[in-house]
Amino acid sequence: MPNALIHITDLYFSRANREIFSGINLEIPKGKITAIMGPSGTGKTTLLRLMGGQLIPDRGDIIIEEHSIPSLNNKALYKIRQRMGMLFQSGALLTDLNVFENIAFPIREHYDFPETMIRDLVLMKLEIVGLRGAYRLMPSELSGGMARRVALARAIVLDPVLMMYDEPFTGLDPITLGTIVTLIKDLNQALGMTSVVVSHDVKEILSIADHVFILAEGVVAASGSPDELKASDSEWVQQFLHGLPDGPVPFHYPAPDYLQSLRDMTP
Amino acid sequence: MILDWLQNMGKSSLNFFRKIGQFSLFLFHLLSGLNYLFFRPRLLIKEIYSVGVLSLLIIIFSGLFVGMVLSLLGYVTLVDFGAEGSLGVLVSLSLVRELGPVLTALLFSGRAGSALTAEIGLMKATEQLASMEMMAVDPMKRIIAPRFIAGIFSLPILTAIFILVGIYSSFLVGSLWLGVDEGSFWSQMQSKVEFQHDLVNGFIKSFVFGIVVTGIAVFQGYTATPTSAGVSEATTRSVVHSALAILGLDFILTSIMFGL
Repeated sequence: MPNALIHITDLYFSRANREIFSGINLEIPKGKITAIMGPSGTGKTTLLRLMGGQLIPDRGDIIIEEHSIPSLNNKALYKIRQRMGMLFQSGALLTDLNVFENIAFPIREHYDFPETMIRDLVLMKLEIVGLRGAYRLMPSELSGGMARRVALARAIVLDPVLMMYDEPFTGLDPITLGTIVTLIKDLNQALGMTSVVVSHDVKEILSIADHVFILAEGVVAASGSPDELKASDSEWVQQFLHGLPDGPVPFHYPAPDYLQSLRDMTP
Repeated sequence: MILDWLQNMGKSSLNFFRKIGQFSLFLFHLLSGLNYLFFRPRLLIKEIYSVGVLSLLIIIFSGLFVGMVLSLLGYVTLVDFGAEGSLGVLVSLSLVRELGPVLTALLFSGRAGSALTAEIGLMKATEQLASMEMMAVDPMKRIIAPRFIAGIFSLPILTAIFILVGIYSSFLVGSLWLGVDEGSFWSQMQSKVEFQHDLVNGFIKSFVFGIVVTGIAVFQGYTATPTSAGVSEATTRSVVHSALAILGLDFILTSIMFGL
């Protein structure tokens, strides 16, 4: 892919003697929304952690803007993270700071800006996520959806080049869910970011993604635009996109014959 | 059977040394980031308030009762030999050399150490530490270091307060209630308690305990399994390991300072 921001080549990663990735290759285009999908436990969040340098792969490389993330030293890694934003599934707001201070946190840590400038930057981001009126609230006073929007404002406060979303749609009511979907799309266009969204909410993610990778059993099982995937003749892709309970991915965990088990009186 | 036992022994020993290595690396990482605090003294002040000032109440009350009990027990023994005038020396040497540093450190690990472990463990469980890393802020510098330094700074001061309160409460019980002569109480204390041998060594003890207790507390929090059960186990381990380390180190330090 000529215009790719992230190149992942031959990535292997295992944890607790379990192989999570066994040779992943993918490229994430610049300025687009890329979705990473797959059943639970396939390592979608792990992939984001690897891209952010929080985990080190066993083998393979992750190149972001010509920097090989696994081989960066701590200082260089922290430098490049200033150009990344990440929205955690739980929001991960700092519980001893209010909404305003949470969003101002990255600015205060990295820049010596005057207070008026920090105030303007924070209020601008809060306005984007529609929570300017909530700037004084503490994280414990926010609903799940509000906390995620505040976390989103904090993640974009330094205008990152790469924005990563970890399951942004999980556990939200339909209205908040719609808001988050629209925000991800609008922010990507308005700020010219590259967005990587990890999710298994098929409908929402296919409505905004430019490109989709589906991970399964440690490799990229399928990829393409949402339309290409919808038209795919792979039974596996169809089972995943339509949420069918049984198919190439079996409903049952491997077990001996059902009737035989009942007769044997052993589980 | 014997093979299993040997295997378990080997596994436990390896785990022990792995933990020691992990703790050393943790301390190295922690100490290498201390310059960050020079530019943010307010972070340190906030933590000193939280681990030090908020521990004052338990330290003052414990010092009060320990001093009163020492005075009562000491008097009962000394009066048989007509040596009740030495009550001040008995109480002050016990407190300065031994009870002050040890009891304050034990109380501190229960009050502040457990809170530090639980706080850091929960920050890990709720991904606050991971989110900080992704905001290019090293949690070791921003979260761990201020708490560690605040603990080391606070414990010797709390120990001094504990000893002062203890000595004064023993004076109140000894002199006002039991009738020990006020002059001999203070003057014998003044002549027998040495600055270098007693006060400085007592301070060194509390300084060492400060490093150990706070080090264990932040280490247990930082390496806690990020679940409710994991944080609960880490908090328990923090208090148990601190208590054992305080008592073990106390024996070693006492034998070096006063025993030989």
